[in-house]
Amino acid sequence: MNTSDLDGRRVGLYAVLFGLVAFYLLPLEIGLVTSLKTDPLASLPFAPPAAGSFTLEEWGRAFTALKSGLVNSLLLAVPATILSAGLGSMAAYGLTTLQWRGQVGVFTLFIAGIFIPYQAVLLPVSRFWATYAPLEEWLAVLWLLPGLEAYHGELLSLIITHVAYGIPICTLLFRTYYKELSGEMVEAAKLDGATAYTIYRRVILPLSVPMFAVTLIYQFTQIWNDLLFALVIMGPGDGAPVTVGLTNIGSSLTNLGFGVKMAGAFIAALPTMVVYVLFGEQFAEGVAS
Amino acid sequence: MIDRIHEAVRARGESEGDGDARTDGGTATVADDDAGSFFGSVSRDFLGSLPFWLPPFALMGFFVYGAIGWNFALSLVNVQQFNQPNYSQLDFDQYLRAFGDPSFISAAQNTAVLLVAFTLACLVVGLLVAILVDRHVRFENTFRTIYLLPMSLSFVVTAQFWLWLYNFDNGLVNVVTQALGLGRYKWISNPELALGAVVFALIWQFSGYAMVVYLAGLRAIPDEHYEAARVDGASTLKMYWRVIVPQLKGATISASVVLMVFALKAFDFLYALAGGFFPPKGTDILSTMMVRQAFSAGNRSYAAAIGIMLFLLAIAIVAPYLTYQYRRGEL
Amino acid sequence: MAELVLDGVTKHFDDDGDRIVAVDDASIDIEDGEFLVLVGPSGCGKSTTLRMVAGLETVSGGELRLDGTDISDRAPADRDVAMVFQSYALYPHMTVRENMAFGLEESTDMADDVIDERVSETAEMMGIEELLERKPRELSGGQQQRVALGRAIVRDPEVFLMDEPLSNLDAKLRSTMRTELQRLQENLGVTTVYVTHDQTEAMTMGDRIAILNDGRLQQVATPLEAYHAPANEFVAGFLGEPSMNFFDASVEDGSLITDQFTYPLSEDTLDDLGGADDVRLGVRPEDIELVEKPVGDHDYAVTVDVVEPLGDENNVYLEFDLDTEGEGAGRTFTAAVDGTHPVAAGDELGARIPESAIHIFDVDSGVALHNRERDPDEQVIPQ
Repeated sequence: MNTSDLDGRRVGLYAVLFGLVAFYLLPLEIGLVTSLKTDPLASLPFAPPAAGSFTLEEWGRAFTALKSGLVNSLLLAVPATILSAGLGSMAAYGLTTLQWRGQVGVFTLFIAGIFIPYQAVLLPVSRFWATYAPLEEWLAVLWLLPGLEAYHGELLSLIITHVAYGIPICTLLFRTYYKELSGEMVEAAKLDGATAYTIYRRVILPLSVPMFAVTLIYQFTQIWNDLLFALVIMGPGDGAPVTVGLTNIGSSLTNLGFGVKMAGAFIAALPTMVVYVLFGEQFAEGVAS
Repeated sequence: MIDRIHEAVRARGESEGDGDARTDGGTATVADDDAGSFFGSVSRDFLGSLPFWLPPFALMGFFVYGAIGWNFALSLVNVQQFNQPNYSQLDFDQYLRAFGDPSFISAAQNTAVLLVAFTLACLVVGLLVAILVDRHVRFENTFRTIYLLPMSLSFVVTAQFWLWLYNFDNGLVNVVTQALGLGRYKWISNPELALGAVVFALIWQFSGYAMVVYLAGLRAIPDEHYEAARVDGASTLKMYWRVIVPQLKGATISASVVLMVFALKAFDFLYALAGGFFPPKGTDILSTMMVRQAFSAGNRSYAAAIGIMLFLLAIAIVAPYLTYQYRRGEL
Repeated sequence: MAELVLDGVTKHFDDDGDRIVAVDDASIDIEDGEFLVLVGPSGCGKSTTLRMVAGLETVSGGELRLDGTDISDRAPADRDVAMVFQSYALYPHMTVRENMAFGLEESTDMADDVIDERVSETAEMMGIEELLERKPRELSGGQQQRVALGRAIVRDPEVFLMDEPLSNLDAKLRSTMRTELQRLQENLGVTTVYVTHDQTEAMTMGDRIAILNDGRLQQVATPLEAYHAPANEFVAGFLGEPSMNFFDASVEDGSLITDQFTYPLSEDTLDDLGGADDVRLGVRPEDIELVEKPVGDHDYAVTVDVVEPLGDENNVYLEFDLDTEGEGAGRTFTAAVDGTHPVAAGDELGARIPESAIHIFDVDSGVALHNRERDPDEQVIPQ
């Protein structure tokens, strides 16, 4: 193999890699330019808007339509993410660092929870919130407070639901991490007189910071992106998160409204994209394990 | 110093008496007094661990296992939109009904096609891309980040993009096929093409995931294996096929399980594509059919039965995987 | 005052219904201030024994007593012991000062300034006061080791437990730390149990050593006693480098008959054997003398096979000159001779095995029937 041969191979390799970049990014590029055109049908889909046909109107319309959805999504995703990561860390600690017989059995139940198709639980969950635990009615007195509305009760139900179904994956992520921590270190803490609680608070928790980053990012993306639970538990009401709002933008199978659809898609995806661009490494680590 | 330390030790001895009343150590102390010598320490660790895992477990258990049980009960009765379940009469009628229902059969077929085609294609694409990225290229992390980007997007978002890409008049796909002289197609509204179009879009979104898993697997293989294969005179192709790929068995298994689970959750994508409970003709899968029967058609027991069958399908995929992981001591 | 007693301590694990005995009925009385070394090959149960004392493993049978009080069921924190781990087990997110203070904060009600003062004093004693504000990853292996020791010392426990604390250090640092640790222990006078697989540590550090094999206690004795008067064949073979030479022999007409040679015994030695027929003869390499020609009853014609020069001494592998090609042909044994002794492969000379230096063991039980003679003036304390 001589050098020019080698160079040829390297060039080919990079050509393929950049081709793949185009494959993965082109749909986004097309979406972006389309959202800026007055008439998406008038030019090639990937061409940037011509001088006369540039508009920000579609972004404005999409933003107006999705504004409340964005707020709701934020109110939903932030607490649900933090709670599920926190509870997952606790569960993983109780099932990994503290050792007792049968913990693998309990852990298996957690893990199986990751793979449950939500369709197998949808009816009971929607029934539970609608009939047996109508938080909206129970907390009625709260909605009198300024800034709180009745649909915040529905959001609360959705938060609890997401926390419950997020715990398994968070537990798995933290357990993988805690298994790598030195067992002798925990034993040293025990001999130092630390209780299960203080070992967690003073030794394990401070060491979990990198894993919290991974888990929070992964969970935030998952919860922000979800449509199914939002649709079934609250429907397209005042409390609907942005994903529900996005499905109602433009009409689907006609040529009308592609500009606003694309703009809406970007607005809905913006928070996860920002998180992804900033913390892509952690996201990759989260999905790889 | 020693004298002073001894003083401190004495002081500690006295304070320890009070220390027993502390609440956080309370359970452990009780266990110690009650239990026999052998079980003393075992139950101490067990009881100490309860406050940590039991609350999350209870919450998760109620929503996952409790709900599945409830759903199963629901599938054994006949509840339509408004009547209350009558649990005195249980039968498997809803399951029998499914097997006689042509739309269930076709949804099941579509689900199988989606599972197999989507998973296999993602694995193949993911493996090839991972091998390319692993060849010590520059900006490796940037490439990886870009390839994985679609996965961070919501199904709802990617559905919007693909609706436009598959558009009959000016979608990119038709622009390309026309330029190649193949003509235009109604990718989404033609039942013959719709499922393939959906699978392709999902491959775009998730092949990056398979790539990341394979890349982690490739990283775990020591350089010596590549070098040894080279010294043995293997060509690049042979080296990968006979030395490297067999070592990626673990990565392949875990990636396929997760991809299949994604495929089962493709509801969000199809719902957003159609903007409602009726996905494009030819793409109805069990996930969409279940939701439609439950929340649109009002056949709640029928929907529950479909949900249970989906659950069994997931178990059939995941149980061997978990057993495999358990055997390897990775749980 | 802390006297630690292991009374018939037993540990077994259940492995899918099979009972695996890790430690079987170990009884040791460790006096106040004593430095006891637990030594044995890997998997012999020495670490398990230590962990039972620490409370990190439950005790399946028997009793652990600290100053007469049964502590078998106490939580680790309530036993007043401190442990130094092989990996040091420092808390990576805390500074050295926080690492050392942690135990006092968690196990006592001391005021912060008292704790702080004690940490500083201990750090000064250990010579690590300038490291106090650093994190463990910023320290060298030797410094981490010192911090781990300091963390144990600052708690002023009744008992120190050390699990191979020097095994992660390089050879040179290890020997420095060995001496330092010993001096420290002597000054503090804290009862110490020290686990190692390294026989140099065992021989040089301990007041007494306890040798374990397969979960069974083989012997508890001072290092020299275990070396010169081993209780059984295992102890004899385990201690000493290069290890003792063993020859299977039968007792006939007042002599030991081996495949290679005949070894006449004195009346006194024969009495010790108590009529045993099949025995094993043991002799340490350094007790074998090389002479120019075999002359006496205990001299044998040998050829030098290989010489391993170690500088101060040579390990010489010898082969018996046999008349016949019998079963014993090709059998080599080891002699350790002074490094200045001129000897080369192929030399033919005589090997003398003095009767005063031989050990004889029962073939079946391995029990020592006869041990070498010892100089009554010999120093009790090794080094």
